Amino acid sequence: MNVESQPLLRTSNLTVTFGRLVAVNDVSLEIYPGELVGLIGPNGAGKTTLFNAIIGLNRPASGAVFFKGVNVTNFLPHKICRLGMSRTFQVTRAFVHMSVEDAVRVGAYNRCNERNVRDKVDEVIAFCELNDIRKRVSSDVGLASLRRVELARALATDPDLLLLDEAGAGLNTTELSAFMNLLTQLNQDRRITLLVVEHVMRMVMGVCQRIFVLDAGSLIATGNPEQVSSNERVIEAYLGKRA
Amino acid sequence: MYLRRIFSIQNAAMLGVVIIAALVPLQLGNNQYNMVLATTVLLYAVLASAWNIIGGMAGQLDLAVGAFVGVGAFTSGTLLIRWDVTPWIGMPIGGLVAVGVAVLIGFPMFRFKIKEVWYALVSIALVEVMRVLFLMWGEVGGPTERYLPIDTWSWYHLRFNTYMPYYYILLVMLVIVLLVNRWIRDTKLGYSLLALGEDEDAVEVLGVDVRAAKLKALVIYAFIAGAVGGLYANIYGFIHPTVFSTDMSVEVMILGIVGGLGITYGPVTAAIVLVIIREYLRAKLGGELAGLYLMVYAVVLILVALYQPRGLVPLFNKGWERLKSYWGARQRERGIPTSIENK
Repeated sequence: MNVESQPLLRTSNLTVTFGRLVAVNDVSLEIYPGELVGLIGPNGAGKTTLFNAIIGLNRPASGAVFFKGVNVTNFLPHKICRLGMSRTFQVTRAFVHMSVEDAVRVGAYNRCNERNVRDKVDEVIAFCELNDIRKRVSSDVGLASLRRVELARALATDPDLLLLDEAGAGLNTTELSAFMNLLTQLNQDRRITLLVVEHVMRMVMGVCQRIFVLDAGSLIATGNPEQVSSNERVIEAYLGKRA
Repeated sequence: MYLRRIFSIQNAAMLGVVIIAALVPLQLGNNQYNMVLATTVLLYAVLASAWNIIGGMAGQLDLAVGAFVGVGAFTSGTLLIRWDVTPWIGMPIGGLVAVGVAVLIGFPMFRFKIKEVWYALVSIALVEVMRVLFLMWGEVGGPTERYLPIDTWSWYHLRFNTYMPYYYILLVMLVIVLLVNRWIRDTKLGYSLLALGEDEDAVEVLGVDVRAAKLKALVIYAFIAGAVGGLYANIYGFIHPTVFSTDMSVEVMILGIVGGLGITYGPVTAAIVLVIIREYLRAKLGGELAGLYLMVYAVVLILVALYQPRGLVPLFNKGWERLKSYWGARQRERGIPTSIENK
């Protein structure tokens, strides 16, 4: 693996609580530039909450998040985005009354001005193969396209690190393969570091170089796909204790 | 390229409407009632078009317009009464004072993510609070009306014995506000507002500073409403705490919603249609039974909400599309190629 020594993203002892519920418990992880990392775990393990805490949508109770060496723990999401991190959402959060190209344009303004924003929109729309539907309103493009629109929107912000929250959920096998290709392309051709939350095991095992496993808010395993899938604690978390 | 943008269909349509609007007083000029009606339509069109920035684009259920208009009216009116300052200066100062109020209320509200119904409550409460404040503030407000100078024709005092000049001033204001709307709509601020009106979290992770964008929208809207307030004092000839009107706030919001949220020409369309319907009903039914016209008006609003929830303008657009496709089919039957089919 070709990684630099300085981590792109680092969380140190990150804890998020809702009242007395500890949703994310003392999570420390590091992601290096150029990696494609998976984050898996059973339902309710705290994956989405961890995402929210990293990107500034939830305030952590304790611990810290460092992005490109900057402590971004108390940054608002738009500032973190300006530094080069964006995300997609598990339940698609399309701007339903806006056209596809307008939605992408919202993200493109992160690094563009009025003069060059169109070029960026065109480029991202072409890359995500959305040309046919670019004028359509987001509410009538269908789930598979909606996932692409959401990815395109985030991509238009020109991120160095992209967090994808179950971007493959609800897609059929062909759509999923196409989506996996897109992710690999993003990672290899565009050199975007990806952290992917996923339920679809085929996808995680197929494309990720390294996997974090979260269970009940705590990090229980880290490693490459083979190591993780043979890990005792991971099997226990997913299937229960051996009788 | 640049010429093409100036001579677009949209601009041609706007110019046409403005010319027609400019000719209206020549037709109605002798009938004071009709002139009052036409002026009222324009007044509400300007306010509702300004509301479109915060309410239509940014999706905030704003009911503060009465507060901004009132502050503008008192600022400009007081400057004129006390120090003989022309409203041409008083209006922009009124706008700036309204901006001050907007920032004072908007900054904490957006900081603590007060939105939706809570925003509506805070903003309408602002109108009431301002009204009571000015009722108690004896030096400026108080319970008695304060009259502006009476002139038959004075551009310095902006006082006339006819509504015609106010009509034209409001028409100019409307054109400016519509251009501001279009400018916002085509730039970063507009895209940010439209997106955050749908989903604030989703737009924040795309690098949009939600607080700043909302505050900008509120400030622009407040400035326009405050400046209009200055003119409002001159049109009616006096200032009194009743200019802080929650009725006006609700009316402007209704126009913004019925016209079609976020659609530049929606509020104008709604103002023309609804204000005329309302005044017509008031004239016809007002004598029969007090309040009956409001009931009929409410039924009209409910019908729009039921059958045209996205507003009047989409309805007209649909009619226009139908007309075009019908026209296209006719042309094709005759073997004439058309260029208007694909759009």
